[in-house]
Amino acid sequence: MSYLEIKNLQKRYTAKGPLIVDNMNLSIEKGEFIVFLGPSGCGKTTTIRMISGLEEISGGDITVDGESIVNKLPRERGVSMIFQSYAVWPHMTVYDNIAYPLKLQKLPKDEIKKRVQAAAEATEIQGLLKRYPAQMSGGQRQRVAVSRAIVVEPRLFLMDEPLSNLDAKLRVSMRTELKRIHTKQGSTSIFVTHDQSEAMSMADRIVVMYKGKIEQIGTPMEVYQDSATRFVAEFIGTPPTNFFDASIVREGQEIYARGEGFDYKVPSSLHSALAGYAGKEIDMGIRPEYIDILPDQRKQDGYFCDARIDFVEPQGSHSILITEIGANKNVKIHTVDHMDIKQGTKVSCHVKNGMVMFFDKESSKRIK
Amino acid sequence: MMDRLNAVQKTVFAIILAGMVMLVAIPLLFFITVSFSNSTEMTQFPKNIFPSGEVTVYVEPKDDGKYELFYDYQDGSGYTSIITTNNASKLEKHFARQYAVVMDGEEILEEFSRTRTEGAREFTFRKDMFYNFKQFFKIVPNAGVALKNSIIVSLYTILISLSLGSLAGYAIARYQFKGREQINVGLLIVRMFPTVGISIPMAVMLIKMGLYDTMIGLAFLYSIPNIALTSWITSSIFIGINKELEEASYVFGANSIQTFLKITLPMAFPAMAASSMYSFLTAWNDTISALILTNENQTLALVVYKAIGTTSSGIQYAAAGSIVLIIPALVFTFIIRKYIGQMWGGVEL
Repeated sequence: MSYLEIKNLQKRYTAKGPLIVDNMNLSIEKGEFIVFLGPSGCGKTTTIRMISGLEEISGGDITVDGESIVNKLPRERGVSMIFQSYAVWPHMTVYDNIAYPLKLQKLPKDEIKKRVQAAAEATEIQGLLKRYPAQMSGGQRQRVAVSRAIVVEPRLFLMDEPLSNLDAKLRVSMRTELKRIHTKQGSTSIFVTHDQSEAMSMADRIVVMYKGKIEQIGTPMEVYQDSATRFVAEFIGTPPTNFFDASIVREGQEIYARGEGFDYKVPSSLHSALAGYAGKEIDMGIRPEYIDILPDQRKQDGYFCDARIDFVEPQGSHSILITEIGANKNVKIHTVDHMDIKQGTKVSCHVKNGMVMFFDKESSKRIK
Repeated sequence: MMDRLNAVQKTVFAIILAGMVMLVAIPLLFFITVSFSNSTEMTQFPKNIFPSGEVTVYVEPKDDGKYELFYDYQDGSGYTSIITTNNASKLEKHFARQYAVVMDGEEILEEFSRTRTEGAREFTFRKDMFYNFKQFFKIVPNAGVALKNSIIVSLYTILISLSLGSLAGYAIARYQFKGREQINVGLLIVRMFPTVGISIPMAVMLIKMGLYDTMIGLAFLYSIPNIALTSWITSSIFIGINKELEEASYVFGANSIQTFLKITLPMAFPAMAASSMYSFLTAWNDTISALILTNENQTLALVVYKAIGTTSSGIQYAAAGSIVLIIPALVFTFIIRKYIGQMWGGVEL
């Protein structure tokens, strides 16, 4: 049995209202750094609040270390939390903010002092202990919130979009810092975010959520390269995956995915999975970086269409090319080899290494 | 904004501002001057802006051992005869009542006896600046008790309206329940009733409860509009306090009472201070309800009000009483000013 088990967790706000969290099942190992990723309103924050006890559950069970916590008050659950607004109390000094949970535990004064010092040093705010939050920057307040969360040595460390109020530069450096603190403390952490690059860079495992359901659980590379549903493929990755409406056609030994403006010979590894789809419509997804372009319109293995580059968006290290293929007017191609590509260049597009994803139209699940 | 005004606008603005300041300042200054004036200064016109600290009389010796006293009108019309006497106690009373000069009658006579050798001349005496205040407490024998009563009734009012009002405000701000909007509007309607209108039925109730003519009974009445006001003010502040601040407290080990006392309440303190000031001023300044609901245990405002009606000879005593009434209110306002400033000027919640 895993450290944290979520079983058939449900949440609705009103008795007959919609399910905000719909039969969620999740196991988390001790010491893992889990990221809940999803668009706003997908139930990720609700889930973390149900784990912390700030929100009542409508059904299911949550166990930590084999023991159910759903009937416990937030303060009895041994969790600590970092909130989106930091929730640093403005009428207390930094020291009092960090010491608050320890004072409530009625620990001896010198131990409180020692632990507050240690927590402050971990986030490098030991010089600010006498200040009030109003005299501090957003990043410093964030550090206070982190100190307060780690000072209690929690069983579960919950973070509800803690970086979303910081400016872009600080956000990136705080990411690394949170990760470093996690490595040092080794506490089981759940981090909620809607920012996929945050999720990718921090998570041991990402839980992608959409409309109250878990779409996929996996390591960052798994959810990226091996997306389980169309939603995951679309949500993760910048620029997002290109989608095409394709129909599966069988010609002798070969299977083709054809659509308006393209014709792709499916690699044989996918033949068995696509066997049942012959003559049917499916969604074909190709990530921008898995489209290879050849400027002289040569046709190689993996060729699927010709295209004319409409726009070039140089990004320095690479360029994003925008083209129109069939009904999809906004196909994006990520290319490193971009020096002589100009607007209007005619190219041939190839799928790199067979990195194409097919999704069922109805269930939007991956066909593989 | 101010920088962009041109010269004409600036001038107009300054004139309007000065006019507004004068409107407030002149009556107040006049009022303070009156409270330090003696009886003769009261009859003067135009009045001095600042009350003088001295009294000058002109004394002429008379043949029968009496002295004729003249008081200087200081307007060029010369001396006016006031009194002719050689009676020490009569002189003492005259000096005290008319000039607010407290001196032994015999001493005054001895001073005056110098005119026998030196001829008619002016004498200058020092005025007792606080004569009116002392006299106020003398004419109104229960003024000291009334001051104490006023303080007690104000504290009760603050206590009742803060404890009930802030809890109501918290509930309105934080919880969704049936009739929440109606209660919110209802609170406003309570404010619309004149307290006098409530005083009469309240008197009947308080008599039945045995609370008539007690400070707690009076505080109940004053609390009626102030509970409503307090819950209005505090609920708007509670709404402004981020819910996550309380949730953080729950997560980090506090129960709801600890959270309210340690997190919510201190942050709502400016609102509490502001509404307690309103409660205080209601209780402190009211006369009409106190007139109806008390008999022996009168409040200071009521006593001052009555003094104005009864001391026909000396409006200056009533003015002194009013100053006595103002001072505690001023002190209280200054103490909590800093917290109210926080509410209007920027602690981030």
